Amino acid sequence: MNRLYINQDYCKGCLICVDVCPKHAIGASDRLNSKGYILPDEIDMSECSGCMLCEMVCPDFAIAVETDEEAYRHGGET
Amino acid sequence: MKRHPMLKYLKEKGPAGPRMPTIMCPGCGAGQVLNYTLHAVDDILREDGIKKEEVVFISGVGCSSRLTSHYLEFDSGWTIHGRALPIATGALLANPSLKIIVFTGDGDAMAIGGNHFIHTCRRNLNVTILCINNGLYGMTGGQVAPTTPAGIATTTTPYGNIEEAFDICKMAETAGASYVARWTTAHPRQTIKSIKQGVRKRGSAVIEILSQCPVHKKASAVDMLRELKATTVSIKKTSCQPKGKTPIGVFCDKNKPEWTEKYQEIITQHSSRENR
Repeated sequence: MNRLYINQDYCKGCLICVDVCPKHAIGASDRLNSKGYILPDEIDMSECSGCMLCEMVCPDFAIAVETDEEAYRHGGET
Repeated sequence: MKRHPMLKYLKEKGPAGPRMPTIMCPGCGAGQVLNYTLHAVDDILREDGIKKEEVVFISGVGCSSRLTSHYLEFDSGWTIHGRALPIATGALLANPSLKIIVFTGDGDAMAIGGNHFIHTCRRNLNVTILCINNGLYGMTGGQVAPTTPAGIATTTTPYGNIEEAFDICKMAETAGASYVARWTTAHPRQTIKSIKQGVRKRGSAVIEILSQCPVHKKASAVDMLRELKATTVSIKKTSCQPKGKTPIGVFCDKNKPEWTEKYQEIITQHSSRENR
């Protein structure tokens, strides 16, 4: 299963990533970061197809998706 | 923990402390364009075997122009308002093998730097101009710009703009650029592909990227991106332009002699004549 990582310090809560996700794998959470922005969070990462659209559209370089292949390559557990 | 793959090209810490997160407002299109450009440059560095030192970023002044020397690990210049292109010209003449990418906004390229823009296109200099068009002057408070569409309310035209907007793509094509395209921030894959084509092109490549300004237009970034998608139409899909929709796509892609190549020809011609 692909994993979602949000850099809480960089995220400004524009939620463009949530809008572009074609599989609705991520959504807005009820958590706020230290600046008071709403953070995105995973809803169902088993739906994630690894299209990386969320990484591509993030204006603040705050979101990252690790696919199974990458995790395997970096020696993590799959 | 995996981090964003493009952070390897960004300065996260400077002499005066942390530089990230960026200075941009939440949901700003300029940050998205930076992301697309880094994706394109990453691909070019990998596929073409170009060194990181051969890519140079230059910008003028404005929201869009804050993207270069503050955040990029590449050689970059944050220069004079509207005069990013003359400085790019200088850098190119000093070293014609450079890949120069100019970040400019609609106010920077079309208002104060309009003349420089026209003549860079006319000379067909080997630069890639990424014009981030949000349709107003964002940094100074959302005033009307030459690229504001007619009827749009801004802080200085509260009852709607009476002027017609400047068409950057038509202007660049008429002035003689080799590659002209228009995309929006809501078209990530197309924009990345277009930036790659533009950087690989010998000659001027003008890519206008329609962008959102959620702060001055007083709307959410997501709504503005949806609107950008709804109000644009690809020139591939339609032969006639539907009323009220902006055409997007690659308008012009031709091979023309580039300025530094022609200049080099003159140098070789005359230096061989002297040797005779």
